[in-house]
Amino acid sequence: MKERSILLVIFAALILTAGGYLAATQLHLMPFQASTRAVEVDRLFQLLLGITAVIFLLVEGALVYAALRFRRKPGDDTDAVPVHGNNALEILWTLIPAAIVVFVGIYSVQVLQDIERPQENTLVVEVIGRQFTWEFHYPEDNVTTSELHLPVGRPVLFQITAEDVIHSFWVPEFRAKRDATPGQMAELRITPSQPGRFPIRCAELCGPGHAGMISEVVVEDQAAYDAWLAAAKTGPSDPVEIFTQFGCAACHTLAAAGSNGQVGPPLDGLAATAANRVPGLSAEEYVRQSILEPGAHVVQPFANGLMPADFGQRLTDEQLDALIEFLLAN
Amino acid sequence: MKSLVSRLRQPAPAWLRYFGWNTDHKVIGVQYLVTTFFFFLVGGALAMVVRTELLQPGVDVVNGTQYNRVMTNHGSLMIFLWVIPVLAGFGNYFVPLMIGARDMAFPRMNALSFWLIPPGGLLMIASFFAGAAEAGWTAYVPLSIRTPDGQTLWALGVIVLGTSSILGAVNFLTTIVTMRAPGMTLWRLPLFVWGIIATSLLVLSATPVLTAGLIMVALDRLVGTQFFAVAGGGDPVLWQNLFWFYSHPAVYIMILPGMGIISEVFPVFSRKPIFGYRMIALSSLAIAVLGLTVWAHHMFTSGMDPRLRIPYMVSSMVIAVPTGVKIFSWLATIWNGKLRFTTPMLFAMGFISQFLIGGLTGIFLAAIPVDLHVHDTYFVVAHLHFVLFGGSVSAIYAGLYYWYPKITGRMYDERLGQAHFWMNFIGMSLTYLPMFLAGLQGMPRRVADYDPNFLVPNQLASFGGFLLGISVLPFLYNAFVSLRSGKEAGGNPWRALTLEWQTSSPPPQHNFEQEPVITHGPYDYGEGHLAPHPAGAPAAGE
Repeated sequence: MKERSILLVIFAALILTAGGYLAATQLHLMPFQASTRAVEVDRLFQLLLGITAVIFLLVEGALVYAALRFRRKPGDDTDAVPVHGNNALEILWTLIPAAIVVFVGIYSVQVLQDIERPQENTLVVEVIGRQFTWEFHYPEDNVTTSELHLPVGRPVLFQITAEDVIHSFWVPEFRAKRDATPGQMAELRITPSQPGRFPIRCAELCGPGHAGMISEVVVEDQAAYDAWLAAAKTGPSDPVEIFTQFGCAACHTLAAAGSNGQVGPPLDGLAATAANRVPGLSAEEYVRQSILEPGAHVVQPFANGLMPADFGQRLTDEQLDALIEFLLAN
Repeated sequence: MKSLVSRLRQPAPAWLRYFGWNTDHKVIGVQYLVTTFFFFLVGGALAMVVRTELLQPGVDVVNGTQYNRVMTNHGSLMIFLWVIPVLAGFGNYFVPLMIGARDMAFPRMNALSFWLIPPGGLLMIASFFAGAAEAGWTAYVPLSIRTPDGQTLWALGVIVLGTSSILGAVNFLTTIVTMRAPGMTLWRLPLFVWGIIATSLLVLSATPVLTAGLIMVALDRLVGTQFFAVAGGGDPVLWQNLFWFYSHPAVYIMILPGMGIISEVFPVFSRKPIFGYRMIALSSLAIAVLGLTVWAHHMFTSGMDPRLRIPYMVSSMVIAVPTGVKIFSWLATIWNGKLRFTTPMLFAMGFISQFLIGGLTGIFLAAIPVDLHVHDTYFVVAHLHFVLFGGSVSAIYAGLYYWYPKITGRMYDERLGQAHFWMNFIGMSLTYLPMFLAGLQGMPRRVADYDPNFLVPNQLASFGGFLLGISVLPFLYNAFVSLRSGKEAGGNPWRALTLEWQTSSPPPQHNFEQEPVITHGPYDYGEGHLAPHPAGAPAAGE
């Protein structure tokens, strides 16, 4: 009996060690690591995975073992040997988890300080969330765009806010997320380490178009970034780009722009409907008014007040004309 | 005329009392259990809509607005109208019986606590006709200020339900403090009663704060106050503090009585005393006290002061210690026992195995650097369902099966019960495990549409969800049919030592023929406190 218990303990210890080690080193559950921050966060994540795997195997193993081993014999109605507790054991299983918690806590604080430490030569990007698009402003170069480009290897400080409701700026490949709250400026630091295109997702429920509030970050070498920045100073001129970058695509379906948003009215075949929509307004006048003053003539059953009313300030006259022409041509 | 008078004077049929104002805690307990189960079914139907929409990417069954309404009310119904009140239902039926009292301390207030629930639920469901709440059960401002009128009905509903919960907590604490039978010392209280004590303390401390916050939301919406409006000098993050000050403790409100149920089930079906009785009781109190200090771990990504994050991380992680004490004590209880795998025992073991996953993943969420990646993703959805479904709902099912013979006087069908358990267990694992992966890989929560990369975990979750939906059927069939055809249970079919089993099933109006006198602890199995089993009679559930 004694020997059997000793063998059992040795066997269990081996399984737990192997399980914890394998979980910490072989279980890859996180997405691509595109920032230095991701590497550090993942190191902590893998450590937690190893520790929790040991506890998981210990508890589930004990549960299954007990279920198999301590079944009542048929016909045996007697009680088991009464044991009310064991002080040493109870102190042990209070102290060991407490020690693990202290260790994990200290390590987490270290990682937190590392990933949030200010760096030299930091690029500042202001991020503004609004239903259901992201806007990026580069104060260094005075450029405002709806796509995010970053040079690889240069530390970035995002200053994040929102105009209407709370959004949350999240790039999974950077392992970084921060809420965009109206009236507040939140900070988030990362250093992109790999070139590529990665999705930006809104992580805080922000209304009917929340699921479609997706943008993209392009991480590229300095030369490509500089070239993009120079082009971005003039803003997009291609109507499909205008349609996508200013967020029309998040809410409106339009085959020519490849969009399938459901929040606002579909725009396929707009020329025909717009011409007869409001007596006295030509199709061109109607579409122009609808962009500049979205509340003027709301299409049923879509809600009033969801479409931003500031396109008059954000679009240049050339962009607005190009957009209207494009909408009426499709 | 005469016959009409005499007919009116005849006592109403027994079943009719369940449909009206009644002050018997046992009637109120059944009213709670049945009403909240109805809301569980409604919330479950909404979950089926969610899983159908997410069966494939794209917006196909419901649009973004409808999805948000369905998802918001799924969460709100499950929390405010199912898990919290159903546990109060168990408390109503069993706290007086377990402490040897004739009724609750304030029977009329008790009836009122129940009768606030149907109007609260109807307000919430009625909101579907006024543009239902669509800002999530968390109702973050400013979104929840801008949504249609249903949001106001929703807030009123939650206020009414919170009031019910506060009245119940006052009643439980008064009953437990003042109405224990002779010999029922604090250290002889069953652990379910300890769970109710801890929960009631949390309800009293935290629920009024949520109520205050909801009144502020209602005022901002109705009369244009500016509590949360930036333009008027208000602060959106204030709502998050008020909301989570209640809603994180709410998780413990939803789990502590469940842990109490589990602590009742294990000793009976292991024929062994509970291991470490005092540590389990004290750990409930420790969780309740610590539980009030962790709320801002829901706000690591929000606009809170970054320096405050570390204390909240520490307190959140420390909760793992008393939780671990409970799990290890339950394992030690069944160790070397004589285990009988009845349905409640299976659900109790399922509770450990699923709640464990919920607890362990909670450590990832408390670790701030990891949380800044997984917060507001499907990782959180998986975590909270392992805690609230794998944990709370497993415990509720364990309790429903364990006490079914006491409440109805009949045994349930063991085979159907076991089929229910396995469908539930497999369905749950299939639904929620893949969500961890989706969240880690980048899928945010509360979305009606998703990137095709997340197709496989979502399909698995949907199939698991449908299985979970179907798994209710054997339970419902069992519960109805066994009312008539179940074997007579007798007073104590499980040969349990706690007081509720030392009276007939169902118990008489005043619970005990004569006031019980307590001379030993609730779980002193193996020490000769039970009459020997009648020769030849098989134990129930074989």
